[in-house]
Amino acid sequence: MLLIARKNLFSEKTRLAISVGGIALSVFLIGILLALFRGWSEKVGDFVENVPADLWIGSDGTTDFIAAASLLPDYVGTYLDLAPEIDLVSPLIVRPTEMRIAGHDRNDTFDVQLVAYDPAVGLGGPLRTTGGKEAPGPGEIIVDREMAKRRGIDIGDRLVRSNKSLTVVGFSSGGDFIFTQVAFIALDTAADFYGFQSDNIRSFYLVTLHDPGRREALSQRLELSAPGIEIITGEFFAQETRDRILGNVLPILIVVLVVAFVVGLAVAGLTIYTATVEKSREYGILKAEGFTNPYLYRVVFEQSLITAILGFAVGAGLTVIIAPFAQDAVPQFVVFVRWQDIVGVAGATLIMALLAAYIPVRRMASIDPVTVFKG
Amino acid sequence: MEPHPHILSLEGVSKVYRSGEFSVTALDNVSIHVNGGEIVAIMGPSGSGKTTLLTVAGALLRPTQGQVQICGINVSNMGESQLSAIRREKVGFIYQSFNLLEALTALENVRVVIQETHRNGRGSATERATELLKMFGLSHRINAVPKRMSDGEKQRVAIARAFAKNPQLLLADEPTANLDAKRGHEVMQLLQQLSLELHKAVVVVSHDNRIRQFAHRILWLEDGRLSDHG
Repeated sequence: MLLIARKNLFSEKTRLAISVGGIALSVFLIGILLALFRGWSEKVGDFVENVPADLWIGSDGTTDFIAAASLLPDYVGTYLDLAPEIDLVSPLIVRPTEMRIAGHDRNDTFDVQLVAYDPAVGLGGPLRTTGGKEAPGPGEIIVDREMAKRRGIDIGDRLVRSNKSLTVVGFSSGGDFIFTQVAFIALDTAADFYGFQSDNIRSFYLVTLHDPGRREALSQRLELSAPGIEIITGEFFAQETRDRILGNVLPILIVVLVVAFVVGLAVAGLTIYTATVEKSREYGILKAEGFTNPYLYRVVFEQSLITAILGFAVGAGLTVIIAPFAQDAVPQFVVFVRWQDIVGVAGATLIMALLAAYIPVRRMASIDPVTVFKG
Repeated sequence: MEPHPHILSLEGVSKVYRSGEFSVTALDNVSIHVNGGEIVAIMGPSGSGKTTLLTVAGALLRPTQGQVQICGINVSNMGESQLSAIRREKVGFIYQSFNLLEALTALENVRVVIQETHRNGRGSATERATELLKMFGLSHRINAVPKRMSDGEKQRVAIARAFAKNPQLLLADEPTANLDAKRGHEVMQLLQQLSLELHKAVVVVSHDNRIRQFAHRILWLEDGRLSDHG
């Protein structure tokens, strides 16, 4: 590293602090937003992706799990039962439902993505239970641990909808969709809880195959023989669900990311430019002494680079330190810091450093060494 | 190879500054030849073209007309990078306002020039810079930054820096202007002694009449024209 770059940079500690602070703020914002995006991505796809089904079968036009306006015709279940490739069939009713804890204020409601499944089959039920019963019995409900934490739900509490209630008998994990969570009841309970007139109402069928390699062939046959249904793989359904939720947030995130980058670039660029202008006489002296332009450009680039490295270290450090506290304080603030994102932010910081040095370098190129003889 | 007779040679040099329709002739058909071990003082009123002469002689400005040779090399039509190389290898500057780098210590001000000029490693450059500063009586001030030095000390560091490149030609612009009589005398004495010992060609541009006693030749510049004077 060039002596002049280091000395000039560290001789103006206030300016260096402003510059490093600007970049650190930018890195922190970019880092935390990326971690938030990754955290949300992980969470919202988790349940659908990890249900051990080879195929999800819903009504035609069903695109995702959250807006599950799927209602299947009666014959689909029978048809699936007869398909020789299919090992297990598990019917599901999925409905977004507004509930409250019994004894709490009537207005203190929250959204639950209620999943009714067949506990005898197990497919489509809780991914992992973390307390209480493994499966719900009649009139019972297993709620996601995240929901229990946010709402203060304990085992034995009753969750109410209209004049019906369910008793909490266990906790599960892996069903957090950030703004809602899943809760599980038995299929038989659902008919009574929702007051369905028919026992054959189904939102989805989950199936596992004897040979998962037959997925494609079965899908094609089902589509031809059972019109009005949609056959979806778990991965695709998870991705669609992610897109549904994050697609609304992503444009906002991108705008904030760009703003954060521009703020970092502007602060670093302005401070480095000011430093260059202030030292332009000294750069003129060096030019007069025969120092070449590339040498002087290196001085500016190195200053910019050191500032960026310091800013990145502070910003990345803040991201790693503050993220868990933020997550504790705000449950929806689910973050997941990936090393690939940290590398990406480092790359963005490097670009910031190069761009911040561009105008000062141009300014430096125009310094006339003759001016050092004046005054 | 035949040795070149003059370290600095200006032959019929003119410099005209043009701005739109207006033009100012700063130097008009100037010729000077300076040998190694010789100190030439160029005196004249303000605006006479002294600084222009110095910058043309120092390969900072190209003449409009005429030829400038430094150590026998014609620099009149060189490109920027070639001129930089000539300045780096052949020319040392001493400025009126010292022009030290403020963030660097005395040692670093000298060392950075040695490192860039001679591509020396840090160790040998530090050794050489320390040696030079000792020669200029500054061994106790090597770690001082310019704002903690007196003007006399600053000028001695600046001269040490000029000598650090081991140039054949030294160009000094009003080197005593910011110094009191005693410090000015000391600095000129030092410059004289070293340039004679090390056989350097020195051109000093100044208003200061005290310079006269240190110069082998005194030239008078007025309205861009040069004449012998005293």
